[in-house]
Parts: sequence; C-alpha cells; structure tokens
Amino acid sequence: MAITVTIRSRMDETTDPERKTLEPILKTENLWKLYHAGKVEVPALRGVNFDVLPGESVAVMGPSGCGKSSLLYVIGGLARASRGKVLVDGNDLTAMGDAERTKLRRSKIGFVFQRFNLLPTLTARGNIAIAQYIHGDGYDPHRFDVVTKMLGLEGRLHHRPSEMSGGEQQRVAIARAIINEPKILLADEPTGNLDTKNSDIVLEMLRRLNRDLGQTIVMITHNPEATTYFDRVVHMRDGIIVDGVPAD
Amino acid sequence: MMWQLVLRNLFHRPMRTLIGVMAVAVEVALVILIVGLTSGILQETAKRLEGIGADIMVQSPAAQMLITFSGSPMPIKIADKLAELKYVQAVAPALLQFNSTGGVETVWGIDAKSFRDVSSGFVFLQGHDLQDPDDILVDDWQAKAKHIKVGDTYNLFNHKWNVAGVVEHGKGARLFVPLATLQELVGAHDKASIFLVKCTHPDHTEDVIAEIKDLLPNHPVRPLKEFMTLMTSTNIPGLETFINAMIALAVSIGLLVIFLTMYTTVLERTRDIGVLKSLGASKVLIVRALLTETTLLCVLGIAAGVGLSYLVRAGFLALFPTLSILITTEWILRAGLIALVGAVLGASYPAWLASRKDPVEALSYD
Repeated sequence: MAITVTIRSRMDETTDPERKTLEPILKTENLWKLYHAGKVEVPALRGVNFDVLPGESVAVMGPSGCGKSSLLYVIGGLARASRGKVLVDGNDLTAMGDAERTKLRRSKIGFVFQRFNLLPTLTARGNIAIAQYIHGDGYDPHRFDVVTKMLGLEGRLHHRPSEMSGGEQQRVAIARAIINEPKILLADEPTGNLDTKNSDIVLEMLRRLNRDLGQTIVMITHNPEATTYFDRVVHMRDGIIVDGVPAD
Repeated sequence: MMWQLVLRNLFHRPMRTLIGVMAVAVEVALVILIVGLTSGILQETAKRLEGIGADIMVQSPAAQMLITFSGSPMPIKIADKLAELKYVQAVAPALLQFNSTGGVETVWGIDAKSFRDVSSGFVFLQGHDLQDPDDILVDDWQAKAKHIKVGDTYNLFNHKWNVAGVVEHGKGARLFVPLATLQELVGAHDKASIFLVKCTHPDHTEDVIAEIKDLLPNHPVRPLKEFMTLMTSTNIPGLETFINAMIALAVSIGLLVIFLTMYTTVLERTRDIGVLKSLGASKVLIVRALLTETTLLCVLGIAAGVGLSYLVRAGFLALFPTLSILITTEWILRAGLIALVGAVLGASYPAWLASRKDPVEALSYD
C-alpha cells in the first residue's frame, strides 16, 4: 500500500494565499469546555476559534492550566465540548454521540502522549499492530514496514516498553498513531518526558512526517525550541487563543 | 491480535491469574465432588440392594428411599403374611441400624436362613455364616478399609462382635449381624425395617407387588430391579435442595473471586483502557477483551478443577475405601458450564465499568 505524499508548503495565515482557498481539516467555532468542581463551573476553554489546514503543522503553547490539553482532547473527540463547534474533516464532533466520536477517532485521529502510553504487556510490534486491529483493516505488512523503518524501529519490534528507552517508546507511540494514516496527528507534549537528544529526534520525526508525508499535526508543547519545527505557533492563555503567528 | 492482547494480559500478573484459576478450579471441583459423592453413595447403595438377588423390597409407610438412614420398624409378623401370598418363594426381614461411631455405616440385622433363601447366599472369602448371637459378617471392602480378618473382635453399638466371616461386597450392606441380637440391642423386639421378597419367578414380580399393595396399603413396595433408576437425588427428599444449595455456594465463591480479580484488573489497567479508547476502541471491543480474558481464565480453571476433582477423589478413596464418588462426563460438562456462566457474570460488571470509563480521566490515571 502506497503512502500518500502531498506537497507541503509552509503555510502562513497572513502571507500564504493558498491558505485562503483551502478548507480547514480542523476547525473550532466559539468552543467552550466547562468542568464541574462540585457546583462550580470551571471553564477550560472559553470560546476558542481555531483552524488547521490539511498538511499544516501547528504548535500550541501556553502556561499550565491555560486549556491546551482540553483543546487537544476536545478536537480529538476524547472529550465532549460544552458549547460551540468542532469540525474534523467536515464532521461536526459536537453533534456526535460517544460511539460516533469513537468511530471518527478510529479513522481520522492519531494521538501521541507525553507519557507514551504504550500497552505494557505488548511488544513494540503488538502496540503498533493493535492500532491496525482496532482500525479494522487488519494487519497491513507493507504499511507496517514503511512506518517502522521510517521511525527506525526495525530492531526493537520484539521489545516491550519496559525494555526500551523513552525516545524509542515515543517513536513506537508515533508509529502507532500514524499506522492507520490518520487525517490529523495530535501530540500532547510528546517531548515532555525526553532528554534533549531524544526530544530532537522525536521532533525531527514529526517534522519529517509533516514535510514528507503531508501529515497534519497539532502539538502541544511547553518547549519554545520545539516550535521551530512547526509551521505555525498558537498561544493560549486562560482558555482562549491569544494569537497565531508563523514560526521563525 | 485480540488473543495476543488477552494472553499477554493474562500472564502479566501470574499470581493474580493463578488465584483466579484456582478459585474456578475449587468451584468446579466442589460441584463435581458434591454431586459425585451423593450420586456415588446412592448408586452404590442401589447396586448393593440390587445385588441381593431379591425381587421386591417392602418398607414401612414413613420410610425413605435412601434406606441407609431408615429405621422405621414394622412388625416382623408381616413376613409371615407376605410368605403366604401367591408366587412368593421366600421373605427375609432385615433390621437396619445406622452407625456413625468410628465410621459411617449401616448394619443389617438378618436372619441367616431367610436371607440365604431370598438371595443366592453370600460368597465367603473367609470364615463362615452367622452362627452365634455375637457373630458379625463383614464385606471385603470394609475388611480392607479397617484391616479386619476372621476371628477379630469388632466393637459396634457398645457391643463386642466376633468376626465370623468376610464376604464378597454387593449384598445390601457391609456389616451383617443376627437379627435377634440387633433387635435386642436397639430395643426393637420383633421389628424389621424392610422385607425382602423373592418371587417364584421374576415374571411374577408385578403380580406380587399388586398383592402386597392390597395387603399393606401405604407401604412403599418397590421392585429391586428398578431400584437403580429410582435412586436419584430427585427422589430423595431434601437431597436435591442440598445439592443445589452447595452448587450455588460454590458458584458464588467463583463468581466473587472472578469479580474481584477482574475489578482489580480494570482498576490496574485504567490507563490502558484510556489508550485503547484513544485509538478508537469501541465499548464492545473493551468488553469483549475482558470477557475473553475471563473465559480463558475460566477454561484454565475448569481444566484444573477437573484434575483437582480426580485428585481429591483419589485421596478420599485412599482414606475411606468404602466411599463411592461418581465422576461423570455429564457433570464435568455441567460444572464447567456453571463455572463459565458464573465467571462471565462476575466479570460483566467490571467489563461494563471499563467500557464506560471516561478516556480523558483514564489517560490521566496513575
């Protein structure tokens, strides 16, 4: 199975005329997320308007508690929005039930987490293959080989997470996230638990995914240096997006 | 892939899995052994009654099918009336006395001659028939179990008996004493618990039964040929209820252990469940994964339980050679099915709980 390669260009909201003609693959409109602490409503997102174009890579930055993770969970369909709209590849997540959001997540979203979140009982191969199994298309050896080779995992496939370094585990997590060719890859602080060297490796992998394969990526990070690997940086504060500037 | 996940999860915590397997094994073994013991005793008793060689057994109106516990004496004169009936060749009264001191056994007080007439007589492996008032006959299983030989003294009902003979098993009881002596000892003068009737020809059994029923209305009159089929737990008052209660108890133990095992499993794997959900795993898939794991654990438990049943039976028979524990394929399958249903029920709530976990909360679980 061939991997679709699209021609990437660094997209800038203000300078790239292409951006104005493309339909966003991810779009939020006046997005609110409220949590309940007893009888008190705590807003995590307060009317976020945000869009990502196909093939774009976006870094979301902001202080702790500003709503970055909530935004990621809501646009990834893991959490339900309290108000507003979330459109993923034209599908309105806010109008969907649990089962429909699960289905959409299965086919269109890939997640990478700060703590890797690999299944401890499975080998690297098993952790990647389970995503294919859940996706429903079964094991695709060609796709599996391409992805694992690209992430440099060929020699580590029979190892369990406990037998791998943090960098290796995160590469397995990335492989698991992209094995089913999701429309959007959502990464929640993927370098947060890594040393500088492994952080650079992982960020370079994400950049290659974006540049070579046209993978749309939204990444949350605290690390200002990480943003240099991305097309666009979005800053959040107190549950709202305060700006959207190109990297560099 | 599902099997790989299930198998690896199952063996990830070997001690927990072992405890779950052993709980199911104990449950299965309990069911098999309880049923095996009761049906073994019933069948063994029935076989021994059939083995006497008489055609009909007459009991008192209040008597139970399981004659082991049946005193219910009747006037011994009934024997004479029965002997007068057409097609009756011989009648043998027997007084049955249950003894639980130094073992569980039923002693038959018999009249040597009449008993010989209705049966084809004992097969003597050692010694001779009852001759003296204090003589006792012991069957070969009892002799082996208690290391008894002819000439030994046997204490029973605070009385010293002289072992006169060792006979082949299968003639009603394991211990036989003279009727008159037993009547004297238990204060049942001129009384008998059962009457064994031998017809002039087996074809006349039904006719004789009809005559006896006319003569002794309300007295249970049973053909001994069919005794084996009548000797089931459903025909013994209270036994079926007892068996069902024991099975329910065993199933409850298995169900609770499986519930606890799977509940702790779900708690421990909260984050993993969140990961599966983030990958797009449906509720059905999560439930299926946990129930498949439970089923596999249960199948291992069933296999261990069957092995354990045979092991316990071997141990029991070594300690109590006169005991009979009947393990049948039918009840192995039933016990397995009961355990499987119990385990799936026990795992259902944890599985449902897992499927409903909020993925965001699950992913942040430590």
